[in-house]
Amino acid sequence: MPEQTGRRDFLRKSMAALSGLAVTGGTIAACTGKAKPQVQGKLLGPSFKAGHLLRKGINVVPTETEEQEVVIVGGGASGLAAARWLKKHSDKNILLLELENETGGNSAAGKNEQTAYPWGAHYLPLPNNSFTELLDFLQETNVITGYDAKGLPIYNEYYLCFDPEERLYINNYWQEGLVPRWGVPENDLQQIERFQQLTEELKQAKGIDGKYAFDIPVDHSSADAQYRDLDQLTMLEWLQQHELTSEYLHWYVDYACRDDFGSALAHTSAWAGIHYFASRKAEASNSEPHRILTWPEGNNWLVQRLRESCTDRIRTNAMVYRVGEQDGKVAVDYMDLRTQKYKRILAEQCIMATPQFVNQRLLSALPELLSTRNLQSFEYVPWLVANLTLKDVPHGKGLSLCWDNVIYGSKSLGYVYANHQQVALFPEKKTITFYHALADEAPAAARGKAYGSSYEDWKAVVLQELEKAHPGIQEQVEQLDVWVWGHGMIYPKPGFIWSEDRQQAGAPYQNKLYFAHTDLSGISVFEEAFYRGITAARQLLNTERA
Amino acid sequence: MRINVKALLLFSVFVVATCGLIYELVAGTLASYLLGDSVTQFSTIIGVYLFSMGIGSYLSKFFNRNLIAWFIQIEVLVAVVGGLSSTILFLLFNHVASFRIVLYMLVSLTGILVGLEIPLIMRILEDRFEFKDLVSKVFTFDYIGALLASVVFPLLLVPYLGLLRTSYFFGLMNAGVALWLCFFFSKEISWTRYLKTTCIAAIALLVAGFILSDRITSFTESMAYADKIVYSVQSPYQRVVLTKNEREMRLFLNGNLQFSSADEYRYHEALVHPGLNAVPNPKRVLVLGGGDGLAVREILRYPSVEKITLVDLDPEVTKIFKSHASLVALNKEALLSEKVEIINADAFQWLRSNRQQYDFVVIDFPDPSNYSIGKLYSNVFYRLLDSALTPNGKVVIQATSPFVAPKSYWCVVNTLESCGFTTLPYHAHVPSFGDWGFVLAQRNPNWQFNTRYPKDLKFLDAATFTQMTVFPKDMPIVKTEVNKLNNQVLVHYFEEEWAQFVN
Ligand SMILES: Cc1cc2nc3c(=O)[nH]c(=O)nc-3n(C[C@H](O)[C@H](O)[C@H](O)COP(=O)(O)OP(=O)(O)OC[C@H]3O[C@@H](n4cnc5c(N)ncnc54)[C@H](O)[C@@H]3O)c2cc1C
Repeated sequence: MPEQTGRRDFLRKSMAALSGLAVTGGTIAACTGKAKPQVQGKLLGPSFKAGHLLRKGINVVPTETEEQEVVIVGGGASGLAAARWLKKHSDKNILLLELENETGGNSAAGKNEQTAYPWGAHYLPLPNNSFTELLDFLQETNVITGYDAKGLPIYNEYYLCFDPEERLYINNYWQEGLVPRWGVPENDLQQIERFQQLTEELKQAKGIDGKYAFDIPVDHSSADAQYRDLDQLTMLEWLQQHELTSEYLHWYVDYACRDDFGSALAHTSAWAGIHYFASRKAEASNSEPHRILTWPEGNNWLVQRLRESCTDRIRTNAMVYRVGEQDGKVAVDYMDLRTQKYKRILAEQCIMATPQFVNQRLLSALPELLSTRNLQSFEYVPWLVANLTLKDVPHGKGLSLCWDNVIYGSKSLGYVYANHQQVALFPEKKTITFYHALADEAPAAARGKAYGSSYEDWKAVVLQELEKAHPGIQEQVEQLDVWVWGHGMIYPKPGFIWSEDRQQAGAPYQNKLYFAHTDLSGISVFEEAFYRGITAARQLLNTERA
Repeated sequence: MRINVKALLLFSVFVVATCGLIYELVAGTLASYLLGDSVTQFSTIIGVYLFSMGIGSYLSKFFNRNLIAWFIQIEVLVAVVGGLSSTILFLLFNHVASFRIVLYMLVSLTGILVGLEIPLIMRILEDRFEFKDLVSKVFTFDYIGALLASVVFPLLLVPYLGLLRTSYFFGLMNAGVALWLCFFFSKEISWTRYLKTTCIAAIALLVAGFILSDRITSFTESMAYADKIVYSVQSPYQRVVLTKNEREMRLFLNGNLQFSSADEYRYHEALVHPGLNAVPNPKRVLVLGGGDGLAVREILRYPSVEKITLVDLDPEVTKIFKSHASLVALNKEALLSEKVEIINADAFQWLRSNRQQYDFVVIDFPDPSNYSIGKLYSNVFYRLLDSALTPNGKVVIQATSPFVAPKSYWCVVNTLESCGFTTLPYHAHVPSFGDWGFVLAQRNPNWQFNTRYPKDLKFLDAATFTQMTVFPKDMPIVKTEVNKLNNQVLVHYFEEEWAQFVN
């Protein structure tokens, strides 16, 4: 029903006038406040013990042996996508081995009484319409509910990110969208505009081979040197070449690089940096093109759907420690972490959906394979993710809570609001997921430091960043859990994406071993995981498209 | 030196006069806001205030020595009493039985103190001016101060500072003058130390009040309501406040008027009957929102209705409409009827899991003023609604004012149409709200209405309804986008349109 205006409103306004002073009032009151409530929480991460065991090396030769047709090592998005594909397109018998208690890998999720929340991957941009395999999967899972007369996909509106999607805290104000605008000088705005024009042109650009300069999957992009050579530059150099010097623009592009790759502007390949802006050309019947799909649990929703195709063919807590050869078959040795027993599986064929830094160890029994690849050049950026359950997210000036909430000038990537896709009006508590790529140092050094940090250290980092936009947020926090991804994302350092090293690492071995992990694409996104899984499965079935 | 003293003292006359009038205006304004009936409030406050000033003037003759010190002392008292008065009144309004006594006591006290000041200052100045000069100067400054106060109060102070800050601000002026006088006359007066300390303490208190006044405001809601608050409760979702005057009762949720008992029948008759009356032999009816039971009261007029399911988020609302005597009288015990099942749940979530179908659905949600509520007006929601209707079922939706917010209104219509509904937009005049819009929707492309309405309706009949479906020239149909969860255009329209209306 209507709002009564007039006198009441007039009064409210007159009382609220001079709100600048009210802020001072708030601070004074806050200083005299009572003792801070205790924040609960713990430090989590991928199985640390397993990692340690793998690094140390296990020499046990299992006595128990079983036979399987196809083994998939690793149950992240790529391994599960491979499993789904094999199930759909062949009658091969498969077995998937996953180290952790749950499949999902970097698309892990958690849950509290109110909502599920992501621990890693949290969204899927509307995929390019040319990526039909992915569109089919989305239709199968009712993310696409049909196609309109023009052939454009109609997306399920429970999964399209609800509005308002993104806000940026800048100059003490929450503005709509992440491109800095609020209080940004005219000259900077012009540069931002020019940057957007440039990336828009590159979005449509095609190489001499007729392929898009920037496409998803990455490997579908044009081989035209004009574009591929951009991989030799850093994103910062590319901006400088175009006389794009605005501090605001640099922040924004740096944010984009850290968001997608975990690496800073000055250390990211320009090809990768531009890819973020220029690779997505989706068209949808019921959404603007640049929007995204998301779920409270993030992309764990997607990996759960992938998993459904092969639920009964999964063994979890199975740590593979060696992949070798025996009697012309692939010998996959693993330790059952629950029973501490060692087992060997003899498989006709095997898909390795594990990252190359893991493969480096698992494949040590195949020196002739390792000698042809340079897996060392695969580097990974560590990530910090925190999930906070709050009584409420303090309001600030400007736009209300969005799905993605970013703080200008912060080193972190801000936070995502897990309850956003719930239809309920008033969640009792709110859960936010805070993302922070540890991009300030070289990956190995950052990882060393990260492993040495305690829960209290991380808690301080998280709260300090959040306090920048939400003074007093500490008092709202009830639970704060932290997850450290030592090898969070593959790092697209200059020269890596179009390097021989990357190409070689994905090549099948003797029609027996196939490789599927996302790091083979040089950038970590669900689309690439999906593509890598399918590609490995196709190679295995010998149905790979030319 | 002499000249300076005179000038300073005349300046204090000016400040004292300005502050005095301001306190009077603050009291008058406050009383009319809190108690209503501004003519009575202003004239009694002014009367009591002037009379008290008279008492003050009379009492001034009992002060014979240390006049400057006394003047300073009184100045500090005026500062504190005047500065805090509006805060005290706001805070006490809901908590004391005889609020008027407190009000008039504070007004008298301020009046007496202010009344003391002018005679005292005249006596301080008496041997520094000739008498006719003295009278002329003092009164000139007194009246200039009064003029200034009466002009800046409505034009600057209330709009920009608000009542609380205005009081604190002028309290500070009083205390400032007192402190200045302390320093100026420190050689001539006794107890300087004590006076200075009280001055500084008063200033500190008033500065704190000034700064914290927003917090104080949020403690006290009384200024938000024109009438007496007879019931108020904070539920987990909203603030529920019921006010009453001689003529009507009003319900507010989070400060937004939900209905006035004086004209709610127009709203609820218009909401329920056109649609429900057109459903042949309705059995099951669903009400979403509307925990006040007033729509249910109208639905219960149809004997064929066997079951009414009422889904309202807030148990506090349904509770008071089942238990508060005058509210139960208003909804004719609707929520106590055996036919009614009350479910306190989030409507969207509830509808998602609902499998029952209904012959008629009434949707009476709050206006789409934020993104949470905006979801309840989305195409996704209306699709769920579609599956909750029997094949010939109908639904009616309150859809804000098509006059004030045409885009918002037609956006609701268009969103329903985008989901395959056939709609029938109509509107009614509800004095408390203005021109108010509703949308009827059904699957069948043809409308058939029943011209016989339940007998004892106060507002609606067939002829009136026909008029309601006509949109005059100044309320044309507008093109809008469809409201979706992933664009929330309705909230944008609504904000834009109501903001314009308010300003
Ligand atoms: C913090 C963070 C945020 C991200 N956000 C997004 C996002 O929003 N959108 C997006 O598209 N992408 C995001 N990503 C990228 C994400 O990594 C990919 O989308 C995708 O989940 C990668 O899947 P994968 O299968 O290639 O790799 P992984 O998820 O790494 O899967 C590898 C699997 O192998 C298992 N494994 C490892 N060693 C062994 C062993 N010895 N034996 C058995 N199993 C083993 C692991 O436990 C794991 O389950 C994010 C990544 C991180 C770290």
